Amino acid sequence: MYWLSRLCQGTLLALLLVSGVHAAMPTLTVYTYDSFTSDWGPGPQVKKAFEAQCDCRLDLVGLEDGVSVLNRLRLEGKNTRADLVLGIDTNLTAEARASGLFTNHGLTLEASALPEPWRDDLFLPYDYGYFAFVYNKERLKNPPASLRQLVEDEDGPTILIQDPRTSTPGLGLLLWIKKVYGDQADQAWAKLSKRIVTVSKGWSESYGLFLKNEADMVLSYTTSPAYHMIAEQDQRFAAARFSEGHYQQIEVAGMVVGSQQQRLAREFLQFMLGERFQKIIPTTNWMYPAVLAKASLPAEFSQLIDPGKTLLFDDSQVAAQRRQWVDEWLETMSR
Amino acid sequence: MNTRAIPAALILGLLAAIVLAPLAGLLNLGSMPGYETGDLRFWQSGYIRRVLYFSLWQALLSTLCSVLPAILVARAFALQPGLPLRALLLRLFALPLVVPAVVAVMGVVSVYGSDGWIPLGRSLYGMNGILLAHVFFNLPLAVRLLLPHWQAIPLAHWQLAEQLGMSAWHRWRYLEWPALREGLPGVMLLIFMLCLTSFAVVLTLGGGPKSTTLEVAIYQSLRFDFDPVRAVILALLQLVLCLLVASLTLKLHRLPEVEITIDSTAPPTTSAFKPLQLMLILLASIYVAMPLLSMLLDALAGPLAVVLVRGGLWRSVLNTLFIGLSAALCSVGAGWILLRYAADLAQRGRSGRARLVDLAGSIVYVVPPLVIGTGMFVLMAPQVDVFAWVYPIVITVNALMGLPFVIRTLGPALRQNNARYHLLCQSLALSGWNRFRYLEWPLLRRPLGLATALVAALAMGDLGVIALFGTPDTATLTLLIYQQLGAYLIPHATVTALLLLVLCLGVFWSLERGIGGRADA
Repeated sequence: MYWLSRLCQGTLLALLLVSGVHAAMPTLTVYTYDSFTSDWGPGPQVKKAFEAQCDCRLDLVGLEDGVSVLNRLRLEGKNTRADLVLGIDTNLTAEARASGLFTNHGLTLEASALPEPWRDDLFLPYDYGYFAFVYNKERLKNPPASLRQLVEDEDGPTILIQDPRTSTPGLGLLLWIKKVYGDQADQAWAKLSKRIVTVSKGWSESYGLFLKNEADMVLSYTTSPAYHMIAEQDQRFAAARFSEGHYQQIEVAGMVVGSQQQRLAREFLQFMLGERFQKIIPTTNWMYPAVLAKASLPAEFSQLIDPGKTLLFDDSQVAAQRRQWVDEWLETMSR
Repeated sequence: MNTRAIPAALILGLLAAIVLAPLAGLLNLGSMPGYETGDLRFWQSGYIRRVLYFSLWQALLSTLCSVLPAILVARAFALQPGLPLRALLLRLFALPLVVPAVVAVMGVVSVYGSDGWIPLGRSLYGMNGILLAHVFFNLPLAVRLLLPHWQAIPLAHWQLAEQLGMSAWHRWRYLEWPALREGLPGVMLLIFMLCLTSFAVVLTLGGGPKSTTLEVAIYQSLRFDFDPVRAVILALLQLVLCLLVASLTLKLHRLPEVEITIDSTAPPTTSAFKPLQLMLILLASIYVAMPLLSMLLDALAGPLAVVLVRGGLWRSVLNTLFIGLSAALCSVGAGWILLRYAADLAQRGRSGRARLVDLAGSIVYVVPPLVIGTGMFVLMAPQVDVFAWVYPIVITVNALMGLPFVIRTLGPALRQNNARYHLLCQSLALSGWNRFRYLEWPLLRRPLGLATALVAALAMGDLGVIALFGTPDTATLTLLIYQQLGAYLIPHATVTALLLLVLCLGVFWSLERGIGGRADA
């Protein structure tokens, strides 16, 4: 059984290494979603740039998505290791606020690029985007010009969407339709459902299916075509501009109450609103940076559609009614 | 209590603790302020009824569509021992199991999607797509698990059948079916559980919320509306459902009346239906190979060099290997102890109890890893630094999920071995290490190899709880695939998926060969 004992030793050693003692330098722990921390996300560049200026260690912990980040923080409560949370969006801020786990950032956001002025004591935005239906210009010549046209034209394009029970863009579409149709949302879904090819768990699955030409359009962001233009030099993709306006998503960061690293956390928030961080966002997170002026974005961003009117529910209204709205959606879609 | 009962009781206790403690932790959490349980009357809602009905229906259909053809295909393989490329084909049949669900969905869509080789258009989405994907996953698994039952039929029986001039039907009725009845119910239960808890496949290919399984409802209750009590209730419901199905499958279960040998030689090849059998093998192989082939073609057209030379990649490979091998070791160890105990019980005529031990080992699969993981987290977070425990937790949960596979592959062989040689061992006073070394190892290394290989491959392809815990540097290949998919890098993800497949194939091959000996399956 020599090999067995060697393996046990190996396992123990690996465990020790994982739990290894960190350097004496102060560490700022940030909980975020893992497409932020992945090699293709903003994480690696952000870490390098911030560590160069802060004389500290930046520990980015990647969880599944924004919802998981908030749930994780709530589970850990006062014992959390997080000093800062980055990546929850405006549909979750009301619940995050109610958890009592966040503290005032004490900063003011003067020059924001957001369409509305930002007023929030607990959270600061780092980027934002708009949901949109993306299509391939070579395959779909006449995309719908409005959400109503998409919903009501029975011979309209087929679409791929995400599930509002599991996915942020999926919830975004639910709110978008609610915003445009109000009490008639059920009827809208009933009409639309005939042309929904499938409803996937997350964004990746439906976007992957869209690239395999399984449907004419996919629910994504107005900024998605920028990825294809910049990273793949591919001009075929565009987002359809809807005349009612587009539902907005703002991603925010907040300081965790009781953190031992308040000063560092505030320094990070300042850094987040600064040019270094903001310039990393467009081509890694594929969203609009919250502070950087439009003129400083990569040239391809100027070819993206202008969403026109911004649609956004108040976060407390989303928190209060989401469950009921999702249940209504389920009822209509399961028929 | 004999000496075998104590370690087995320990393992059973550990199983119960690993499954029940997290559930208790979540329930307890539900009573804390800030976690108001939603309306418990969700119970009576039409939604839950529909979910229950659909979960059962799709799992049942998927099981039947996988297992019934698999019996025919396994039989064809068994009766064609000299088939060229047989070993390779059987190894191919181990692959679908390790393909991460989202990658398999893409493979299925490549074959049957609107631009695919066999375009089904929109009719792919719905029960068709679910069945196509589930059969792709489970038919080959069932073939692998059923095949050894033919190999356990003694040569003398085949010869006798030959002399009596039995028709193929009579051979099936009197020779093969009785041998199959020991293993078939367990295999059906296992595949039923795999389909019942299937998630990404059902949600993506199901076409919409009409196709919602219990597993989706459980996941939903641990997300936007974080409701741990609801998650636990649904998880328990799923467990009860499986217990019901398990008790049904046990009705089918029979131990063979005549004890059969382990080391049989291959059955004679004089089969009247040879072309039909070849056709069956060919069809099944094409069915399994098509999605894999489309993945291969996609990956080869992808940015191979870019993905393979990335620095972090090989770290992920090591992490994946470490988790896969450790989980396999734990799972096979625990499974061995349980099965030895069950075999002992069966030997002493207490087969009812033996079945319970077997069942306890198999049923753990249906408690969703997300529930176990979240529950463990709730329990551990206040006590320890969870980040230091990511590996042990991931390995434990994967070992747990692998246990039913160990029970299925190793169980029948171990029981037969025990029944045949127990008295001999007693008279020779052969026990403990010596018994393992001289009796069990030579006779059982083949199923042992298959069990280890299956669990290792399964754990390597599992996204599992890693994503739930999230650490700065524990990326596995599967997590990497999801990260790439989430960053528009779909071609990169295909390449990574191919690497994962090749790695799994390598591990599978070396474990099966290294532990199991001869190349034959």
